[in-house]
Amino acid sequence: MRKEDTVKLISAEGFEFVVDKKAAMISQTIRNMLTSPGSFAETEHGEVTFPEISTTILEKICQYFYWSLQYSSGKETECTKNRHVLPRVPGDQNYHCS
Amino acid sequence: MDSQKKTNFQIEAFKHRVVVDPKYADKTWKILEHAIHEIYNQNAGELSFEELYRNAYNMVLHKFGEKLYSGLVATMTAHLKEISKSVEAAQGGSFLEVLNGKWNDHNKALRTIRDILMYMDRTFIPSTRKIPVHDLGLNLWRDNVIHANNIQTRLLNTLLELILMERTGEVINRGLMRNIVKMLVDLGSSVYQEDFEKPFLEVSADFYRVESQRFIECCDCGDYLKKAERRLNEEVERVSQYLDCSSESKITNVVDEEMIANHMQRLVHMENSGLVSMLLDDRYEDLGRMYSLFRRVVNGLNTVRDVMTSHIRETGKQLVTDPEKVKDPVEFVQRLLDEKDKYDKIISVAFNNDKTFQNALNSSFEYFLNLNTRSPEFISLFVDDKLRKGLKDVTEEDVEIVLDKVMMLFRYLQEKDVFEKYYKQHLAKRLLSGKTISDDAERSLILKLKTECGYQFTSKLEGMFMDMKTSQDTMQGFYASQGAEVGDGPALVVQVLTMGSWPTQPCPPCNLPSELSMLCERFRTYYLGTHTGRRLYWQINMGTADIKATFWKGQKHELNVSSYQMCVLLLFNNADRLTYKEIEQATQIPTTDLKRCLQSLACVKGKNVLRKEPMSKDISEDDAFLFNDKFTSKFYKVKIGTVAAQKESEPEKQETRQRVEEDRKPQIEAAIVRIMKSRRVLEHNSVITEVTKQLQPRFLANPVEIKKRIESLIERDFLERDNTDRKSYRYLA
Repeated sequence: MRKEDTVKLISAEGFEFVVDKKAAMISQTIRNMLTSPGSFAETEHGEVTFPEISTTILEKICQYFYWSLQYSSGKETECTKNRHVLPRVPGDQNYHCS
Repeated sequence: MDSQKKTNFQIEAFKHRVVVDPKYADKTWKILEHAIHEIYNQNAGELSFEELYRNAYNMVLHKFGEKLYSGLVATMTAHLKEISKSVEAAQGGSFLEVLNGKWNDHNKALRTIRDILMYMDRTFIPSTRKIPVHDLGLNLWRDNVIHANNIQTRLLNTLLELILMERTGEVINRGLMRNIVKMLVDLGSSVYQEDFEKPFLEVSADFYRVESQRFIECCDCGDYLKKAERRLNEEVERVSQYLDCSSESKITNVVDEEMIANHMQRLVHMENSGLVSMLLDDRYEDLGRMYSLFRRVVNGLNTVRDVMTSHIRETGKQLVTDPEKVKDPVEFVQRLLDEKDKYDKIISVAFNNDKTFQNALNSSFEYFLNLNTRSPEFISLFVDDKLRKGLKDVTEEDVEIVLDKVMMLFRYLQEKDVFEKYYKQHLAKRLLSGKTISDDAERSLILKLKTECGYQFTSKLEGMFMDMKTSQDTMQGFYASQGAEVGDGPALVVQVLTMGSWPTQPCPPCNLPSELSMLCERFRTYYLGTHTGRRLYWQINMGTADIKATFWKGQKHELNVSSYQMCVLLLFNNADRLTYKEIEQATQIPTTDLKRCLQSLACVKGKNVLRKEPMSKDISEDDAFLFNDKFTSKFYKVKIGTVAAQKESEPEKQETRQRVEEDRKPQIEAAIVRIMKSRRVLEHNSVITEVTKQLQPRFLANPVEIKKRIESLIERDFLERDNTDRKSYRYLA
């Protein structure tokens, strides 16, 4: 996947999900964000931060994106075949479980 | 992890973050307000869409939608007021550009703001029925910028000025115009119409009024029409380039109104260049242009058509009543055909084959053709001329074309029965003298007449053809039966004519020379032998003869003469000199015929086989005639005085007219009886109308004549006057 085709979705905890732009566009909000004429920070860096959405929720959302792509077009598409959802653990965040 | 510690595991209900901060709304709004400012200042790169969206979302969710909305309105309005000031401040030429630029910026900002406030747009606004963000933005723009005092009029004036400049030939920035106009359209059709279109149409109307006045003073009709067409195309192009397409029909109406409708009469009647001169000169291009332009305005085509009709009627009337033209019938009819061709071409090339024009042409022709009462006769003479010699080397299709054209003229005639009479006479002469070029052409014309007028019209004509054919067979039979006895005598060709079919002529007796009378008697016996119960009358006045004559120095010539002339000439076999009285007595030919006959034998240069004493043009009763020994001619065969169809002299014309009138009487009576039989009782006026209608294909019935016929029928007990109503008639069985 090329860099230009992807967008980074960052959860409240700091997890970064790199997904296809096509997948992210399933969400109207994200689509508006990315195609808005005003040059916002998001479009500049290709990153969208969701300070109020937790990681687990965001992960499910990303899965939904790909599921939607796959089944709304009626056949298995390229990107759903190769999908990786890459959770990257940044160094300064800890994942607690108590 | 220590598993010994037991903790109560409670799963709490999933709760949204509760708003505890009373100033929450204000704080959030401040963030958004700041964002809007930044957006307007083109400075949104620092902001996070997500954050703004989230804040707006939360405000609406927590029931602060109203504050958000009113805040938005206030902020936008403030910004627009500033923009308005900066637009006002723009100098002269750059006014439109500045306006355009600001409009684009505003649009961009509006879209961005709308994206951020999408949640409010989707939920809060429909439920409170407020104006959506995008439309709100347009309205605020309209109210604060476009309708700002200084800007509104200045904008309109600038636009109109630019259009005026373009109309006078300068080049303007069309792209800029297009954007500004599009802005007006986007703001709402009422804005476009009120702020621009209405004044535009008014100003255009004034402009074209002035221009058309100027043009019409200095240009002729053709030029003016060219200019009008050009302006019209210009306006259409203008609309397509930078105005809204809804304006197209409105502005073209304005141009039509000012340039064409207002000056219609003047254009059409213009001296030396108006419609009449265009028609005379066959200026197809100008005529076509006039047609397409005038078609756009109400009554345009009616005006053109009326002027054309009156012109055709005028020229037609002059043509038929001009004594010069009337002298040569063939020329006369040819002129009519040429006129018809000319106008047919004009209508098909320039007037788009418009049916109404074709009808106008037909009615005009009908009008003036019937002004001259001799038209039926002339048309028949024209056909006669064509069938004798005019169609000699013409191909079959061309023959058809000419005959079709003649039929066209025939249809315009009101007195078709007069035509029938003349045609019969001319046909008889043609058939008997054997002078018709093509039998096929004759039959073709008869067929056309039959299709046009029905069987009745042509039954007698066909009878004439039959008689000719039968006579040929009879002659063969005659010679076969006579054998060698008549072999070396003069050759006789007899045409037996059925009396009803052929035009009746009185058949005065005539003394045939002895050689012939015997032969004729023989024929009579033969014929009556085969056809009992018939009577034969010799019509010497219609016959021709070929005789061989020997002149001085043994010059032999074959002379083709009429039978009367033959009788006269054969007298000179027995005498060299004869007086008029002697000739008259010997031949018994009636006076007028004899005089004409002698005139053509003695007084015509080049054909004078007789000499007259004294030498003069006219024949008087005291003249004497001598055989002209010194007669010479280049040709061996000399034709003398063929009985060609001539234009009738006055007394002949009167006679024919009278006969036609006589023939009409029974036709009228038959029509009256037919009508009364079916209707039983009918009022006088209705009778007249019905009778005229029934007889219309044949001739135009005279009401006075019809009344006379009714009286006559009453006398003969076919009809009676109604007892109660003096004006009605009743049919008596």
